[in-house]
Amino acid sequence: MRRTLERHWYAYAMVAPVVVVLAVLVLYPLVQGIWFTLTDINESTIANPVLDRPASYSFVGLRNYLNVLSGDPSFGSFWSTLLRTVIWTGSCVVLTYGVGLGLAMLLNRPMRLRALYRVLLILPWAVPVFISAFAWKFMFNSQFGVINQLLGALGLGQPVWLGQTDLALVAVVIVNVWVGVPFMMLALLGGLQSIPADLYEAAEVDGATPWQRFRDITLPGLRSVSSTVVLLGIIWTFNMFPVIYLVTGPAANPNTRILVTYAFERFFSGASRDYAVASTYGVLILSVLLVFAAFYRRALRRQEAFA
Amino acid sequence: MRRTALVIAGALLLTACGGGGNSGADSGKVVFWDTSGPNEHPVFEKVAKDCASKGGYSVDVQQVSFDQALANYKTAAQGGQGPDVLRSDVGWVAQLAQNGLITDLSDTDAAKDTSDFLDGPLGSTRYNGKTYAVPQVTDTLALLYNKKMLADAGVQPPATWDELKADAPKLGGANAIFLNNDAYYALPFIYGAGGDLLDVQNKKIVVNSPQNVQALQTAKGLLDAKAATTALDQANSYNNMKAAFSAGQVAMEIDGPWTVVDLLKGDAFKDPANLGVAVLPGVTAGKGSGPIGGHDYVVRQGTKAKTSSVKFIQCMSSTESQVSISKQLGLMPTRKSAYDSSDVKSQPTVTAFEPAIKQAHARPWVPAGAQLFDQLKIDYAYVLSGQKDAKAALDEVAKTYKDQVVTDYSVG
Repeated sequence: MRRTLERHWYAYAMVAPVVVVLAVLVLYPLVQGIWFTLTDINESTIANPVLDRPASYSFVGLRNYLNVLSGDPSFGSFWSTLLRTVIWTGSCVVLTYGVGLGLAMLLNRPMRLRALYRVLLILPWAVPVFISAFAWKFMFNSQFGVINQLLGALGLGQPVWLGQTDLALVAVVIVNVWVGVPFMMLALLGGLQSIPADLYEAAEVDGATPWQRFRDITLPGLRSVSSTVVLLGIIWTFNMFPVIYLVTGPAANPNTRILVTYAFERFFSGASRDYAVASTYGVLILSVLLVFAAFYRRALRRQEAFA
Repeated sequence: MRRTALVIAGALLLTACGGGGNSGADSGKVVFWDTSGPNEHPVFEKVAKDCASKGGYSVDVQQVSFDQALANYKTAAQGGQGPDVLRSDVGWVAQLAQNGLITDLSDTDAAKDTSDFLDGPLGSTRYNGKTYAVPQVTDTLALLYNKKMLADAGVQPPATWDELKADAPKLGGANAIFLNNDAYYALPFIYGAGGDLLDVQNKKIVVNSPQNVQALQTAKGLLDAKAATTALDQANSYNNMKAAFSAGQVAMEIDGPWTVVDLLKGDAFKDPANLGVAVLPGVTAGKGSGPIGGHDYVVRQGTKAKTSSVKFIQCMSSTESQVSISKQLGLMPTRKSAYDSSDVKSQPTVTAFEPAIKQAHARPWVPAGAQLFDQLKIDYAYVLSGQKDAKAALDEVAKTYKDQVVTDYSVG
């Protein structure tokens, strides 16, 4: 033991700051958050340093988890909210990936004004999310919005986009896809450019159809990029708060409620500031994502073994 | 958003210097969060500056959006940061007091000589027998109407909802009135039908009473009979209502005095005399009633400028300041003496709203008061869009009150 210390002290010294920073910034809040889920902490029981008032919350065991997991509407209808979160994440990621790949392939071909198109397509990414969200909120306005005016001019129906119906979920998915496509496109374009052109030439000489070339060269060539951006996309979208909050308003439309917006509602906007239930949601979100990431990694490894 | 962020950053910077604790020394610098709208803000800012220069302290007036103010204030004050003075909605005071986020003003000059204040707004400043606030402005909802449109149709402002339904065809059917599908705007229907949200004395949740079910059915009935219109997307609803009314597309709306300054900028009210104000319709004539609203000044717990802050809110709520604000914006003073002023007496908005104030219904001044609207808002919108019937919706609201808001009350 002493000998290892003597020999490797330098390594330990180099690592120590990182360990300390991680412990303070990640581990401590995480443990505290988990502890909160086992209490009835809220804004009137939390310690108040200004008043020198000590904390007065108490241990309640698994009550918060039981309340949430029972799916009770007063605690956010956990299961249907989880289902909505999965639908939201799935449709957003499939659409951003699909549209992003399509645009990347278009831009990967030699054409005039390619640089201009790239700049235009990256624009949604360069605009701060809250500006896009407010712009879309105005466009979706059922009475004065440009989308319904356009639909009206074409003689089509004028739906209430942001009402308390599932159409609101469609609307926020549209906004999120618009915001998310540029990143996918850029990442995939980078992946496409790393595929050697002679593979395509050889395939063409062998008489492969465009579909075969796409399936057997492009997709495998993109595998490492795709697996990363899809994983990132899923985690980001699962926790994508600003788009939903800003487009459907702090009024918290129950038809666009996902796990993370409900946690926020309980923590901030629903005047009760129920820190305990909000933390419970936080821990559940973390657990869902951990389970998912484990399965995803295993699936990827299996795929690589086959390839 | 950006503005709010700046304001918070500014507030953090301003309060970051200096030692901790409630030391006796007064910094002489008052940071005031003003939550009034963009058209009202310049007037409040001017009055605040005048108060500061007369009182010998400095004031920094920061405009924060009303929607965000409560959440931002709580977060800041919990950590010992934030403004010294906040313009708080009357419904927030008890909650802030319970959580120890505002200063008990009982032993300061601000709590003395309160006999001049109107009873409704004064009630909102007290919690557990102590005084935590000074009334700034009072208001209620009334029926606003386009005089020309009603005259052209040959109808009087309706005294009952049935009358409104009968008159609607003459006013262009659904364009007769615009209903905002927000919880606060459901209260006129509820109070007008003799209902209430909570029975504070008996600790009962009465939001799903038969009167309230009837009340929401009345609102939905107006839409079904094509006597009213609404915007079903809640995020845009209030602004759409104001836009449609001020453009002359609808003849009536239900709103408060704070909105008048904005409405007068619209095409329909180029001539301010065209804007009519009437007492709310009810189930029976003369029984219409809106909620007592308004704002109070509160001082943050742990402020380093307590003496100056108290002086500041005394000056801001003085008769002189109230008269000046009322004269320019048409807001309703909270001091009886202000109503004696000829400037206030001749203010058209104030005189128009006075009868409505007399009939207004006091809200329960309990910490949970501000939380009552979250679930009601969602379910009222469900009722108006026809996705739920009134009984089922209100039962759900009652259940949420029991589970989250007033857990020690009984449903009944």
